[in-house]
Amino acid sequence: MDLMFLTGLLASGVRFAIPLLFAALGETIGQKSGVLNVGLEGIMLVGAFLAVAFSVATGSPWGGLLAAILGGAALGLLHGLFAVRLKVDQIVSGLALILLGLGLSGFGYRLVFAGQPSMRVPGFDRLDLGVLSDLPLLGPLLFSHHALAYLGILLAVGLWWIMTRTGLGLTIRAVGENPKAADSAGIDVDKVRMLCTIFGGAMAGIGGAYLSTAQLAGFVEDMVAGRGFIAIACVVFARWNPLGVLAVALIFGIADAAQIRLQPFFPQVPYQFFVTLPYVLALVALAGAARSSNLPAALTQPYRKS
Amino acid sequence: MKSSLVLPSLDRDSRVALLVLGIGALALLGLIALAGESPLRILAILIGEGFLNRAGIADSLVRSIPLTLAGLGVVLAFRAGVFNIGVEGQLLIGAALAVACAPILSPLPSALSLPLLLLAGTLGGAVWGGIAGFLKARFGANEIIATIMLNYIAIQMVSWLIRGPLQEASGIFPRSDKLANSLRLPILFDGTRLSAGLIVAALACVAVWFLVARSRYGYALTVTGKNPDAARYGGIRPGVIAFSVLCLSGALAGLAGIVEVSGLHGRLQEGFVGGIGITAIAVALLARLNPIWVPVAAFGFSGLYVGSDSVARLTEVPFPLVHVIEGMIVLAFLVLQILTMAKER
Repeated sequence: MDLMFLTGLLASGVRFAIPLLFAALGETIGQKSGVLNVGLEGIMLVGAFLAVAFSVATGSPWGGLLAAILGGAALGLLHGLFAVRLKVDQIVSGLALILLGLGLSGFGYRLVFAGQPSMRVPGFDRLDLGVLSDLPLLGPLLFSHHALAYLGILLAVGLWWIMTRTGLGLTIRAVGENPKAADSAGIDVDKVRMLCTIFGGAMAGIGGAYLSTAQLAGFVEDMVAGRGFIAIACVVFARWNPLGVLAVALIFGIADAAQIRLQPFFPQVPYQFFVTLPYVLALVALAGAARSSNLPAALTQPYRKS
Repeated sequence: MKSSLVLPSLDRDSRVALLVLGIGALALLGLIALAGESPLRILAILIGEGFLNRAGIADSLVRSIPLTLAGLGVVLAFRAGVFNIGVEGQLLIGAALAVACAPILSPLPSALSLPLLLLAGTLGGAVWGGIAGFLKARFGANEIIATIMLNYIAIQMVSWLIRGPLQEASGIFPRSDKLANSLRLPILFDGTRLSAGLIVAALACVAVWFLVARSRYGYALTVTGKNPDAARYGGIRPGVIAFSVLCLSGALAGLAGIVEVSGLHGRLQEGFVGGIGITAIAVALLARLNPIWVPVAAFGFSGLYVGSDSVARLTEVPFPLVHVIEGMIVLAFLVLQILTMAKER
């Protein structure tokens, strides 16, 4: 294993990390406000499908991205209506999202693309930063990703700043920690939670769009393959800190890239063992980080004025 | 007339809930129209093929066997507020363990070997559920994520087993050898694929009903689910409940897996689970976590599935519509909950 192998591994690890990063950042904000959304998987599927369909229709990946954001936000709104407005069980509402996402994306895919031979999806191009991208080792590692990847990293920093340093962040945290106190302070608890849930949905939509238009070029049914759930594990492992989410998503991305790149080195080991690696990692992470004082105290608890 | 009298008496929550559901139903019709079909025709095929003709009913019953068993497992866990989403993995590991034991069991007399085979499947599922239970009880790991991760691990394990140690002797296809006849659940009615698994499922319903409604353990489950603090105060340890109920829930899923193999397919092969895992959750919710209603809900979802298969074959409407309908049913269940809650207030 030489240096080239290592930079290649890390660079592809970054690519694998970005969909998780977007979905997990959105979920962090949602959970901080007290709303758990276990339906990320379904939203990412819809985002992935919409991104491909509208990239083809508009001829630009940005058109696809916009559609994915709107679709994700709509599903987030649906979750908010049930979980926040109507105060039903958040987990059951999230389960409905998984089914709806699976169905809508599969339905749309077969309807729009069935029987069509492989078509070209106008995907995101890698950014060309000239000299920087041509640098040996550092070029492929740091300066040749899709624009969305840099946006994700900026968002992680920005959200961390908002959550820890601004009044808006304080409001969101108050709503998730002690909604009653927040309410007495004049904060509209349900409105804040609703907006955070919609934001979370839109972010999961972007995660799905990255998957189908930047990381891969096209949609396959059930292509999210559990990343929506791994994203939730990321949030827990990162202890609800956006910068932590960035680090954890990178760890998972690199683990995913490593399992693919390590397979040829160990031909005697069945490849299925490598494929399970990220999932095993998520289990270990969950067990290691579950009991955390950062857990929003009012997570999954609807707020009723008394 | 009557509706105009009832509607104004609904509170705001109920009206919002009904409105969302109405928009959802319209969206569903819109999807069908988008596929260029008439919703009425789709509905006629869906119900006609899934519930009203002899072959359809037989197929729906065949599918409702594993759904009932797995749905009962989900009922137990959800009653305790433990969200077991790992039915698929538990079902796979149960079936795989039982098939792995088959060579040891087949020389035994049938009266002994078949029950032992089912027991092996039950054990396999219990162990797989138990891992998630242990992680939750010992480390407080969220069981939703844990059981789903275990699903993906189980899928890969079975994928390896049927290409490795458990692959058929001829080594051509990724699947196991067929089970010996003595290890197959007998077919109940000639000309159908309906096996004695139906009896196993019925017995399981009675057993789970007894556990839930008549035993102290069942009471402890319900109290833990409704009010964990009260349960703890009453001397019930939530960790013990979470671990034991995930074992039990997994056991029923494992039983569903081996019943499906022994009664229907005859061997372990890829993709034989066919979406049973997530549908079992919808079944349990629709049955309102009552074991008696589980077979009814299972039959309903099976008919929907069989009918959707016909719809996809006969019309332009693609099969995944069935998942959209399932999702809508779960939301409808929530709306129903809101309406009853409003009535009680």
